[in-house]
Amino acid sequence: MANEWRLLPLRIDDAFTSMAIDEALLKLNAEDKSPNTIRFWRWLPSTISIGCFQNVEHEVDLEVAKKYGVDVVRRITGGGAVFHDYYGELTYGVVCKQGDVPDDIIESYRLICGGLVRGLERLGLQAEFKPVNDVQVNGKKISGSAQTRRWGSVLQHGTILISPDVRLMFELLKVSPEKISDKFIASVYERVTSVERELGRKPTFDEVRAAMVDGFADALDADFVEGELAQEELGLAEQIELKYASKEWLRER
Amino acid sequence: MKFAEFKAPKGVIKVELELKHDTISRISLSGDFFMYPEDALERLERALVGVKAERGSLLAAVQRFYSSTGARTPMMGPEHWVEAVLRAAKL
Repeated sequence: MANEWRLLPLRIDDAFTSMAIDEALLKLNAEDKSPNTIRFWRWLPSTISIGCFQNVEHEVDLEVAKKYGVDVVRRITGGGAVFHDYYGELTYGVVCKQGDVPDDIIESYRLICGGLVRGLERLGLQAEFKPVNDVQVNGKKISGSAQTRRWGSVLQHGTILISPDVRLMFELLKVSPEKISDKFIASVYERVTSVERELGRKPTFDEVRAAMVDGFADALDADFVEGELAQEELGLAEQIELKYASKEWLRER
Repeated sequence: MKFAEFKAPKGVIKVELELKHDTISRISLSGDFFMYPEDALERLERALVGVKAERGSLLAAVQRFYSSTGARTPMMGPEHWVEAVLRAAKL
């Protein structure tokens, strides 16, 4: 039988909605009420997401976030803080049964990140998976992912850097002020890159998404069937959203 | 409250702790690492309270945590937690 997955349309949501949809899909997939699903979205307003083990005070300058109208949200996945720039970043999310990916954590990242690698190749770039959870082009990070396994299903989501505002990113993240020098920014450019920088032009979000859709279908050996979120999924997400918007969750650690 | 950071091969461990007579009385771990399942981190914190802030005792406690919970931390192991805790304890 074909390995059928649902492909959702590109969405633009605030942070709390996006994180709640991810969790609702994970939960309902585990209960056999949601199919394996892949989706792409943008964050409006731009957002800093922090890993579930991070302390927000340690990682984010909340005054600067407020000043620029940037939201801050805690994920249910581990890993580091990510700046989801509305104008320069696309996020993907994959939800599937645990049995559909290798049990070994790094191998499961390798499989799913393979979609990004192949998607970037379709854009004309040479990309490679860098364990645990990164994808690199020319030895520089272009994508980072984070995964959780709960209730028998897997959620992996991650960032695709298209044309991020690196200076704003480091103003928002708590890097010691003396570090935000031209020298520090230059060292970031040696370690982190973007689709725009590597391609020499800024592709549209639709173009990147289309390349990634093909890349993931290839890597997951899946047939994607276009679909929509079900009422049950949206309803559950609406309940979960309250958690993500709460101060208690943001300051949980 | 003592605070230290330790950069493991994959991820930074941040430790806040309080000591009473060389023994950990309070500890909070945070950082950008991965741990499966996520709620195991609280168990690691609990496993460290009451442990002497000395390499041998810490390593034994962290190893016990891993074997009793089956927690998985890709590219991170007991020695990295121990190093991070020792760094904070020595301040």
